[in-house]
Order: sequence, then structure tokens, then C-alpha cells
Amino acid sequence: MYWATIASGRLAQAALLLLAMSLIAFIGIHSIGNPVFNVVNIETATAEDIRQATTALGLDQPVWKQYFLFLSNIVRGEFGTSYIYHQPAVDLVLGKLPATLELAVFAMLVAAPVGVGLGLLAGRNEGSAFDRVVLRFCVLVASVPSFWLSMMLILGLAVLAGWLPSGGRGDSMLAFGQEWSVLTGDGLRHIILPALALALPNIALICRLARAGTIEVQGQEFTRFCRAKGLSARRILMRHTLPNISIPIVTIIALQFGGMLAFAVVVETIFAWPGVGKLLIDSIQLLDRPVVMATLTFVAVAFVTLNALVDLLYAILDPRVRLS
Amino acid sequence: MKSLRALHVGLRLAATVLIGLLAMTASGVQAGDGLRIATAYKLMTLDPHYANLNENTSLLSQIYERLVFQDEELQLQPGLAVGWEAVSTTSWMFKLRADVRFHDGSPFTAEDVVYTVERIRDQLKSPSGGYRSYVSAIKSVSVVDPLAVVFKTDGSVPNLPLALSSVFIMKKPVQGFATTEALNGGMAPNGTGPYRFEGWASGEYLQLAANTDYWAGAPAWPDVTIRVIESPAARVAAITTGEVDVADALPARDVAALKKRGVKIASVGAARINFLQFEMESHTLPGVTDKAGAAIANPFRKLAVRQALALATDRGILVDKILAGYGTAAAQVFPNGLPGTSDKLLPIAPDVTTAKKLLAEAGYPDGFRVLLAGPAGRYPGDSESLQAITQNWARIGITVEPQAVPFSVFNTKRAAGEYGLWYGGASGEAVDIILDALLASPDKARGTGALNFGHYRNATFNAMLSKAESIEAGPVRDAALADATEFVMADLPIIPLYHFHHVTGYGPRIGAYLMHPRGWTTAMQAEPAQE
Repeated sequence: MYWATIASGRLAQAALLLLAMSLIAFIGIHSIGNPVFNVVNIETATAEDIRQATTALGLDQPVWKQYFLFLSNIVRGEFGTSYIYHQPAVDLVLGKLPATLELAVFAMLVAAPVGVGLGLLAGRNEGSAFDRVVLRFCVLVASVPSFWLSMMLILGLAVLAGWLPSGGRGDSMLAFGQEWSVLTGDGLRHIILPALALALPNIALICRLARAGTIEVQGQEFTRFCRAKGLSARRILMRHTLPNISIPIVTIIALQFGGMLAFAVVVETIFAWPGVGKLLIDSIQLLDRPVVMATLTFVAVAFVTLNALVDLLYAILDPRVRLS
Repeated sequence: MKSLRALHVGLRLAATVLIGLLAMTASGVQAGDGLRIATAYKLMTLDPHYANLNENTSLLSQIYERLVFQDEELQLQPGLAVGWEAVSTTSWMFKLRADVRFHDGSPFTAEDVVYTVERIRDQLKSPSGGYRSYVSAIKSVSVVDPLAVVFKTDGSVPNLPLALSSVFIMKKPVQGFATTEALNGGMAPNGTGPYRFEGWASGEYLQLAANTDYWAGAPAWPDVTIRVIESPAARVAAITTGEVDVADALPARDVAALKKRGVKIASVGAARINFLQFEMESHTLPGVTDKAGAAIANPFRKLAVRQALALATDRGILVDKILAGYGTAAAQVFPNGLPGTSDKLLPIAPDVTTAKKLLAEAGYPDGFRVLLAGPAGRYPGDSESLQAITQNWARIGITVEPQAVPFSVFNTKRAAGEYGLWYGGASGEAVDIILDALLASPDKARGTGALNFGHYRNATFNAMLSKAESIEAGPVRDAALADATEFVMADLPIIPLYHFHHVTGYGPRIGAYLMHPRGWTTAMQAEPAQE
């Protein structure tokens, strides 16, 4: 009963969020400009072409009518057909999802352990040479714009060293009805650079959080008590410090992961990695409303799900959350 | 949108840094059999009749073919048709090429031509309707024999062969017609072109294999991989590292560094024009005031003002500095030398003194203020041109407020009449197509004036243009078009700025790359290097 109430509350919240998001996005795109000028070839189309296209896309209707039509289509599970690609918008988003998913997962699998590990070690040895190096690395990486970082990775590892390809997805393999790059050697070689570009700023972010938490927890009585009890330094770090600092870290990992799914535009653009972020930005520029709406809905759902997962993790990590 | 522009500027900066550093290093190229192309054109659909955008037609022209095609001089050449003639004023006979087979092995016949026209005209309900205008003048098309068709037209249509040079021929299915959905979703495109379709992902890549039964002989490359790389910096990186053999639409400012790296460069003046256009009908204009900010009457209605502005504009700076030499100063709608251009029209040389004098005579000795709108990042050098013109015109006392906005915003506002002066671009198959759209009076029945957002009306020019268009293709028609252009350009309804160049880079596996003024990128243009 308790869980059912929480779940239904959450779902209602999510539905409200989606509704608000759709309204804002819809009005936003409508006020940027008229998509019809991207559908026809503006340099050759006649006034009659433009009129026909406007009617065909339903853009001659008032905005509120278009919005209600959009909502009623959503209820039937349809996001409509892309103005530009003439494919179902949902198919387009799902088609880009594997690329984004494998990139984000790969990047986070690198960023989370490395960031936490560096942060723990640096925090425990606060003020040491190691700590200073880690801290400087974090400041440097976190303050470098991601397009520059990407370009430097391409320059260093692709152009000068020639070890890795400069862009694209490489070979892919069909699994679960979609193409996946991580399943092939060539695809793995292609994923390393964009994943690094995504992972490095996150390593810095996670590392700083973990370091700060470790320093704070180290000074607390239970850590001193553990030490007095004669526990090994490693055991204290892994069994006592880590769980105590993990709540903010889990939160930031989930948020950053959501961000990678939706907004890794810069990295996806530079490495020509055909993901969701790039689809979103292209669609906004082309005012391809069905695709923008489908992508944003996917992003909102992803964030809602991630937040719910984080809350569940809180309960597992922190007994106090369970009790309340 | 602002952050997007910042991103683009950032990417460009980073690319420049990258290229500079690259110039010092050596290259390592791995060889394979196939051709690898990086293109800015994102293939959005496999339906060759869905949208008339270079993004689609450039890549699809490797799979599908037309009855006639435009060569590098924009002259019509036989494609799937071996010959054509007007049998009367309202009908055309096209003789078709024998022994042509589609990729599925079926023969090409007159039935397929009939099907193609009917598919575009009657069956396809594409919102863009892009190809309908090419066949709208065709009243009927009928099979004479398996290798000949007759087109009957509404009235005389002397440039029907040109219109057909845009139409890709599809195979007639056993029944019904191929829908766009079917073509996008798995049904392999079936054309007659030199390359067969192997695989694609919209906006990502296109995989082709040689059509060994091609009627003009097997093509040069056994297979072709075309990668869509929209970011110019990423295309530059791909051609520099040798990951691709050809990269199109390269930024002119990167060319020198690419050459140092051993990348060869091919370029050609584009069959298009970028220009400034005025609102010339209304008596008051948004964004135009006197120096104090008070509203004034539309100054652009006076020829002397337009002349002064044209004389104040320094095209040399646009072409040499902004386009880094990869542009040609413009005096008419196509680069000089292409069919229908006038060799008497030369770019107006800047002359500040005369410009000032004309402006004073027109009643603006102190100049005025004007908002100059333009798209950002749509054409090479677009927003930089706004800046340069702002400085040019300051010298004759005109205060320009340049306003570069995203292309879709620009189009919406321009169509809504919110601009009084703007930077625009136009392209087309031939001079008359651009003249019709840009300078002929808006006329729904004739379909003219689609780009004439300035509402320029000149009855004499309309008549000259109509007369030229009623002449059959050839030197007489071209001369009449050149006359009409000379006449209308003297009135300066637009200030021609430049024809930018299409710039393509190619690596050591390519012997030569043949540029096309329409800006196409295909495997057929790349000739393998001799071993």
C-alpha cells in the first residue's frame, strides 16, 4: 500500500511534468519560426508550394488546435511523422538511441569508478602531492570547454598518434533489432575518443564530490572510532567512508547520465556520433516539431526514471531514508 | 540559439587551431578498395521524388538517373534519353536509351517514364511538393513504343527537357505505386545508376556498390561509403587524417592549411547568387529611420539610393577576405560564362565619392539608419558579409545595424514582411529559373516571384523575360535572357554580392575530382589515382 501510494504520486507528478514540458516546447518551437520554410526548398519553391505544404502539415490551423491535435495523437501513442525525414518521429529517436546509450554507458562506466576512486584516495591523503595533482587535474578538466577537449583528443590520439579514428561509429552489429557499435572491435575503437571526451569532465566532477565527502567523513567520530578499533585503512575507506559519501555521488551520476543521454550535442557533433542529442539540436534548427517533441518526451521520461532509481538507491544506501 | 552560434564559432576556432597544428605533422593513410566520402549533405529520404533538396538529390543521383542531365557547363546531355525534339508547340518526343537495366535486372522502358511522371503528379502527396512543379506543365505522357514517349504540355513549354533534368526515373512496380514509407523502410531503391544501394541510415551514412551492368560501363569504384558529417571541422579532420578520400563543402579559411597537409583542393563557382534585396513597394519600412531615429519614407524606392549603396559595397573584401578567394564578385545571378549570362555585366567597383554624391542628390546628404537582416551560418560568409557591408556603408554615412539570425527565424520574419533590407541567396537549374523567382513580379498563375520578397515590379522586364522563356533552348534564348538581365540589373532591384565557390578536398587515392557548379557530391566525380 505504502509503495503503491508513492508510485502513483510519482506517476502523477511525471505526467504533469510531461504535460508542462510539451506545452512549453510546443509554444517555444512555434514562436521560433515556421517549419514550412525548411520543408520546401525556399530558394525554388513557389507560393503555391508553400501554401500546399502548410496545409499538408496542418500548420494553417491555430496553435491551440495544433496542440490539442498533438495531445490527442499522443494518447493514441503517436508522435507524428517527421517533417524533414518523413519517418515516424518515435522510430527516429529509437534509431538514435543505441548510439547514445552505448556512448553514455561506456563513458559513465569509465567516469564513475575512476572519479570515485581518485576522490577517495585524494581525500584520504588530503594535502599530499597526489591530492594536489588530482585537484589540479580536476580544475583543469572541469574548466576546459568540451569542444576544445574533443578537438585536443582528436588532435592527440587520432591525428598525431594515429591510434584511433577521428569520428563516426565504425562497424556495428545487429542485436535486439538495433545496430550496436560496442559489439565490434572497430566500433570499440571508435567509441573510445567520444567516451573519453564525455567521461573526463565527469571524472573531475565526481572526483571533487568524493574528495570533499571523504575529507568531511574522515573528521567524524565514527571514522576515528573505526581507526581506534584497528580496522585497516582500506576497510575503513570501502566499508565506512564510501557508503557515507555515496548519496550526493549517486545523485550527480544519475543527473550527469541523463545529461549524456540528451545533451551530449557538442561531443556527438564533433565526433559525428549519430546520437539523440544531435538529433534534438538538428531538429530544433529545422523546426521539425514531431521529432523535437518525441525527443524531449524521451528525455523527460529518462530523467523521471533516473530520479526514481536514485530515490530507490537512497533507500538502499541510507537506512534513515527507509525508516522515514 | 545564441549558444548554438557561440558553439559554431567555437568549433571554427578550434578547427583553425587544429589545422594549424596539423600542418606540422605527417599523414598516414590506409588504403582500401572502396571510395570513402564525407559529405555535408544529409540524406533524409530514399524517395527520389519526396523533397527537391540538394541534400537528397546529390546522393541519390548515384542510384537513380534522369532522362537528361546537366553537365559541368550546365548544358543538357543525354541520360536515359538519347534524344529529344519538339514535335509540335505542345508536344515533345523523347527517344529512350536501349539495353538499360534497373538494379533488379528488369529493363528500362517507356512505361517507367510514364509511371515516374504520374507518381510525382498524381500519387505522391509529399508536403514539400518539390517535384510537382517540374511536371505540372505536362498534360499527358504516353508510350509511343517501348523506347519512345510523347509529352503533351499545357501550352508551349520550351524548357521541358530542363525540367526533366531534375526528375529521377523509377521502375514501374507490377501494381500500385511505391510509397515514401516503403522506400524509407526497407524496400531497396531500384534505379539505373552506376551504383547500387546497399544500406543507409538517414542522416548518417549511405553504402553503395558498383552496378557492374551499368549501360555506360562499370563504374570506377567497387564500393562507396558516404558518411554524413555535418560539422565542417569534423569533415576537415576526417580528410586530414585520411579516414575519407573526399570531403565536400570545406571552409575556405582551412584550405591553405589543408594544402600544406597534402590534401588536394577542387573548387568551382556555384551556380547561385548571394545578394542584398530591398522592400520596394511599401512607402514606410520597418527598421529604417533617419539618424535621429524618426521614421522616414522608404529610401530604397529611389534608384539613386540603390546605386549609391551598390557603389559603396566593396565586393573585393567579401571575396578576398571573407571567402579567402573562394568566391567570385557577382554582377548577375549566375557566374559569368554560364548559359544565359551577359558578358557585358561586370561587378560594380566601389566608388565612395560618387556614392555620396548620389545619396545627397536623392535627399539623404546625412545618410540614414537601416537594419540589415540575414541568415547566420546558411551560406559561406553570410554573417561576416553583414559586418563588412556595415563598415562599407558607414563610409557614405549610412548606419547599418546588422542582424544575423538562424535561417528558419530569418525565413519566417522575411515572409512576414518584418525586414526592409536583407541578405539572401538563390539557386536554380538555369538563369531564367532564378530571374523568375527573384526578380519577376509575384504572380500566382505564372508561379513567378517566389523569392521576390521585395515586391519589385517591372512590367518591361516581365515581358522581356516571358519572351525569352518562350524561345527554345539554345543561343537565341540565352542571348534574350542576357538582355533581360542587363535591363533589370541597371535598375538594381537587388545588389549582387558574390557567387561562393564549392570547395572539395581529396586525398592521394583520388587522381582528379570533377566539380559541378550545382554543388553535387558523387562517387562518379572522383577519378581513382593511377597506381
